[in-house]
Amino acid sequence: MNAVIQTVLIGIAIGALYALVALGFGLIMGVMKFVNIAHGSFIIIGGYVAYWLFTLLGIDPYLSIPAVMLVMFAMGLILYRLLFSPLLKYPRAEMRLDKSLLITFGVMWILDNTVTLLWTPDTRSIVTSYTGSTIDILGAKLGFTGLAGLILAFLVAVILHILITRTYFGKHVRAATQDSGAASLSGVNVQRTYLISCGIAAAVAGVAGVVIVSSYSITPSGGLNWLLTAMVVIVLAGEGNITYILPAGLILGLVQSISTLFVSSAYQEPIALIIFILVLMFKPKGLFASRG
Amino acid sequence: MATHWKKLSVLGMILILIVVLPMVTDLGSNIMNVMVTLFMYIILSQSWNLIGGYTGQINLGIVAFFGVSTMVTHFLWKAGVSIYLAITAGSLSAVILAAVIGLPTLRLRGMYFAVGTLALAQAAQTIVGNIFTRTISMPGSFSTNYSLTPRYYLGLTLVVIAMLVVYAVTRSKIGLAMVAIRDDEQAAQVTGVKVFKYKVIALLISAVLSGLAGGLYAYVRLSFYQVFALFSPSWTFDALLAVVIGGGGTLFGPVIGSIFLVVLSEIFVNTLGQAHLIVFGFIFILVVLLLPEGLMGGVDVVRPWVYRTRRSSQ
Repeated sequence: MNAVIQTVLIGIAIGALYALVALGFGLIMGVMKFVNIAHGSFIIIGGYVAYWLFTLLGIDPYLSIPAVMLVMFAMGLILYRLLFSPLLKYPRAEMRLDKSLLITFGVMWILDNTVTLLWTPDTRSIVTSYTGSTIDILGAKLGFTGLAGLILAFLVAVILHILITRTYFGKHVRAATQDSGAASLSGVNVQRTYLISCGIAAAVAGVAGVVIVSSYSITPSGGLNWLLTAMVVIVLAGEGNITYILPAGLILGLVQSISTLFVSSAYQEPIALIIFILVLMFKPKGLFASRG
Repeated sequence: MATHWKKLSVLGMILILIVVLPMVTDLGSNIMNVMVTLFMYIILSQSWNLIGGYTGQINLGIVAFFGVSTMVTHFLWKAGVSIYLAITAGSLSAVILAAVIGLPTLRLRGMYFAVGTLALAQAAQTIVGNIFTRTISMPGSFSTNYSLTPRYYLGLTLVVIAMLVVYAVTRSKIGLAMVAIRDDEQAAQVTGVKVFKYKVIALLISAVLSGLAGGLYAYVRLSFYQVFALFSPSWTFDALLAVVIGGGGTLFGPVIGSIFLVVLSEIFVNTLGQAHLIVFGFIFILVVLLLPEGLMGGVDVVRPWVYRTRRSSQ
């Protein structure tokens, strides 16, 4: 019984992280209909920023989150200005999607190789005084870093949700999402809305990077695996549905975690792929879509 | 028609040159190696060209088909099967894998196919990395008799086969449907093109070509130190790069792209080391943004300009 509670607890912690990883990706996907293949690399770079702040200046990873978010926000703005905004000239949405896939694949390639070149392919992680400490919940143990990741994921998901549903900026985002032409005609600055959404998405990726580097580890080429996790979560949640990303992440985390009771934990990625294919075959609009 | 014959005879001459050259002179193992690599790149990028360039479906996991074929070919060849049969079997295994990932993802529009193929490649890398932790290699007798010449000719044959396949497919009804799907899927559907069917056909043919490239790789490389490196995303990136640089949706674009890529990496590897990958990344993005039809499209941009200046200078 204890082992089951432990497994569920780990599943929830990692599921929350999956959601955090997917949030930024889902935001760009939902708002701009762009696929950002470089999202995983953004996460890794966020992790590296926190790592260097900790190693060189001794700043606690969780305190460095605002700085990381700021750096990543700037990167998101650059990505949008340099590469995404030229794509808006293509009239058809599918064409924009395809081009964004290709271009961000190139961006991922550049970022991953640059990081490898600058900071070697070594695995890095932040080890603080509290890294190993755990908290007892119902007789099972949850690492402090896991709990911190859980709280951060919920925080970010709730803040994003409020931002999109309750604020004026969110109204612009929703308008631009539904019909960018009509939104533009009624006075929404679509370009600026896209720009800021892209920045926010990158900043959220930075938060995910901090959680990953402090509770797991990062490698320059590790971004691709996180990206795939994000994509599976997006497919579970239904494309462009930011509200359901957190529950979808939790489901994926729980399924993977429970699967470790039966098969080796080395096979989590294939399991994610199988879930991905099954969902696409039977619920192509996501787990939470109503019939039709 | 006259230009058609001119083109054909030029192509024939180039082909004869490539066939005859190693017979007449000893090119040295260095150049032979580069040529064999080039052949592999051409086949792999033609495979990407069919599904990405002609059909417009972005495949980000072509390495899964390549890698699985390499492994199947390697083990069958080791078991004593002739290399030709082994490569055929390898290609078949790639086709099966393509069906597994293609049937659920190609039915949907948008990013699903790209994501599915990327996920497949990563999952394959994980599985293979978990199972094969040690070097796999052919028995020693193979490496003592190793000669590049049969590899060169087999590679060349496969290149010719790949080019003929792409030519035949794209000149057929299938090719017409593929291009229609790429240009406007909705319009194609409305006018009666069975979109899903032709996407799957294109993917399966493309997988055969990736499989041939993988089989050739198993024939060329006798041992694989890190088996999971066979599934590294860099293969996918190289194929994509060759097609995009050369020009997708054209018969010779991938060839030009592959030559460009192989020659450039030969130059860069010694001078820049790993930084050359970053340079390639920048070239790739610039081409996607500025030259959407690649170098082949660039020719069309430059040609009227050249003719105009020539005429004005007369």
